[in-house]
Amino acid sequence: MELKEVKHLRKPLMVSKISDESFITLFMLGILVIVFAIASVIVPNFYTAQNMLNLVTNNWFVIILGIGVTFVLITGNYDMSVGGNIALTGVLSVYFCQGVNVSQNALANGLGLPYPVAIGLALLCAMGVGAVNAFFIAKLKVPSIIVTLGTMMLARGAAQVITQGAQRNTSLPDAFGVLGSLGIPGTSIRLAVLVMITLIIVAYIIEKKTVFARRIYLIGANPEAARLSGINVGKYLTALYILSGLLAGITGILLASEFKAGVSSRAMGYEFDALVIALLGGVSITGGFGSVLGMFVGAIILSVVTSAATGMLLSPDWQFTLKAIVTFLAILAQRFALDKRKS
Amino acid sequence: MKPTENVLEIRDLVKDFPGVRAVNNVSFDIKRNTIHCLVGENGAGKSTLIKILTGAYARTSGQVLLNGEEYSPHSTRDAKQKGISTLFQELNVVDQLTVEENLTLGMEDTTFGFLRHTDKINRMMSVMNDIESSIKPKQLVSNLSVAKKQIVEIAKAVAAESNIIIMDEPTAAISESEIARLFTIIKSLRDNNVTVIYISHRLDEIFELGDYVTVMRDGKHIETKPVSQIKDRSELIRMMIGKTVFEQYTPREGDCPNTILEVKQLSNHRLNDISFDIHAGEIAGFYGLVGAGKTELARAIYGVDPYEGEILFKGKKLKPSPDKAIAAGIALVPEERRSQGLFTILTIRGNVPVMNMGKISRNGFINDATERNVTLEYVDKLKIATSSIEKEAGKLSGGNQQKVVLSKCLFADADLLMLDEPTRGIDVGAKSEIYNLIRRLSREGKTIIIFSSELPEVMNICDSIYLLYDGKLKSTLRNNCDCDSEQILHIVTGGE
Repeated sequence: MELKEVKHLRKPLMVSKISDESFITLFMLGILVIVFAIASVIVPNFYTAQNMLNLVTNNWFVIILGIGVTFVLITGNYDMSVGGNIALTGVLSVYFCQGVNVSQNALANGLGLPYPVAIGLALLCAMGVGAVNAFFIAKLKVPSIIVTLGTMMLARGAAQVITQGAQRNTSLPDAFGVLGSLGIPGTSIRLAVLVMITLIIVAYIIEKKTVFARRIYLIGANPEAARLSGINVGKYLTALYILSGLLAGITGILLASEFKAGVSSRAMGYEFDALVIALLGGVSITGGFGSVLGMFVGAIILSVVTSAATGMLLSPDWQFTLKAIVTFLAILAQRFALDKRKS
Repeated sequence: MKPTENVLEIRDLVKDFPGVRAVNNVSFDIKRNTIHCLVGENGAGKSTLIKILTGAYARTSGQVLLNGEEYSPHSTRDAKQKGISTLFQELNVVDQLTVEENLTLGMEDTTFGFLRHTDKINRMMSVMNDIESSIKPKQLVSNLSVAKKQIVEIAKAVAAESNIIIMDEPTAAISESEIARLFTIIKSLRDNNVTVIYISHRLDEIFELGDYVTVMRDGKHIETKPVSQIKDRSELIRMMIGKTVFEQYTPREGDCPNTILEVKQLSNHRLNDISFDIHAGEIAGFYGLVGAGKTELARAIYGVDPYEGEILFKGKKLKPSPDKAIAAGIALVPEERRSQGLFTILTIRGNVPVMNMGKISRNGFINDATERNVTLEYVDKLKIATSSIEKEAGKLSGGNQQKVVLSKCLFADADLLMLDEPTRGIDVGAKSEIYNLIRRLSREGKTIIIFSSELPEVMNICDSIYLLYDGKLKSTLRNNCDCDSEQILHIVTGGE
């Protein structure tokens, strides 16, 4: 009997529209198409297959970071430490496997560990930065923006100490450059890009399908109600910051391998790029709302603008300004559209 | 102009909120230079009335005359300029500033935006000094006790030449000796041409302090009388509860012999040595006025706030954390629906299953169809009025929001369901649906504890009633239809 009633009710209740998250992603996809069309008309040689591929592949590092940053942002927190973490991990991956006492130059001497061990340890350190973030944010309840700005400087500072403010690039094992140079021959698709695509797919499935992700949204939507609903908020924040640290670590190792060097000034400002593409993709800065796919679209929009600005031979300062204007307008349009849909 | 005898005349005042008339045709006078007490149960309409007088709410209809002239403030600032100041329970002082700075806040004398030291400060400090000489002008307000902060606010009101000062439960958070001092000050205010409107749940204070008392009930004015003409507490209590008929409660057939929850010597910052047993299958009700410790007790049992003492559930010691409580079989419907219960920006579907995700998932992956069906089932079962389960929960009406929170807790499949103010702020229809639901759950074998500041609610559905006052468990009684509501009110207002 009850089943029958439910069936009777189901019809009117099931007339469901797409979710607000999908709406924003589609909306930003629309903006992407417009920006792309404009760029194709204005910029010479923009509308080519190779360039379109580059739009996706050139930004793999920001997109990988964006995954962690997006999840953290959905809980209503920030992770500004990812840029510094990349530098630190890259430098450590070098330092750990540089030869022992091979030179008078201190920057050529490392710990002489095998490369797999070196990257394993470097990744652990990257997650350690995440764990430090989590400790202060989840346990001591310090606002995440303060904590992660602190660890951002701390991680980069440590990288500078290890490289004496410069870089380490000598006495490396042959295996060091392999990860960064692997790729599909004849294309710009390298291992890093494949890693990025895999991570995006995995993150998308996690976000849409798992209890883990659902609880992340709950925490962001209302942390107090989440706690009273039996969610161990600290545990989830800890997991996410460690995850975000791990993603930064992977990026750091791939970048170091690609350049065969651990550079202390690597990835300056990437934390802001990752934040910007998440916001461009519709992730709410107050938490509880957003999607990885949206972030991905946001990253491509930013990529189109950057690439178009380069193609127009604008000077770097004007490139930066153009990026700022487009980003600002796009986020405004997005908020406006969402408000309109909700009212 | 000759001052009128009545400083304030309220005529046919009405205030409507969606679905409820909070103030219903209220008319009474407040005589000049008296201490006029305002009493009534929670929800009687006192606060709404006060908020109209202070300009926080606009009236729906009716008239208020201040000194014989039409009075209709559009903000608290406006009310203050017209001579009515208010001491709210949430004190309006700035901790980081000194006493002197607090006193002149908002009315500083300035030259080109720079502060000027003028007579005003001296005048205010002399007012302050007359009232309480131990408070120094350069002292930081954060170092003062709550009582002294109140005195700073009173001084501010006096210095602003208010002729009416409204005090909303000023003694709720201060000590006995401070209360005595406050009363002396209130009396001297009256003797110096200030009318005080005094709101309190502590009836003894009315007799000690009041010249007149107005009783309100269910938004209506019941009576205004000189306090001297009231015989004793019970007469006042009778006026407060009236001839409320506590219908519908039918005593439970048979006993509930098995203890499910044992609370032993529970204490924390707001609770004082509370012990009791709850039996499996019963509906227990904790009744007390605002500040009695109901919410604090619910939160302690649920493991939200720390405590000393021991709580056993089904014979096992309960670990103090909400996720452990839920795992053991306890669910809480919190007091503050929007901030503690509901995920307002998520959909109904996003809210209902959150306390029992295991039931809609396998190996951590959510089964969308199960999730939808579960949500639909609860929407149907609790008659949640919505066009779609994809609707944002925050956009539902109060009653439907509460039903979503209830669904959430019911889906947790708990054996013990705690409901903190389950019907606050929702309309009569939804209220009775919730009562029916509670009875049905009890018949299905669930144990229910209700924490409520509404006596009819507790009398209506609870098998046993626990009375709280000031963080202490004062009395326990079985509901046998002829419970003495006067006696109950006597106890929860601090009577022995």
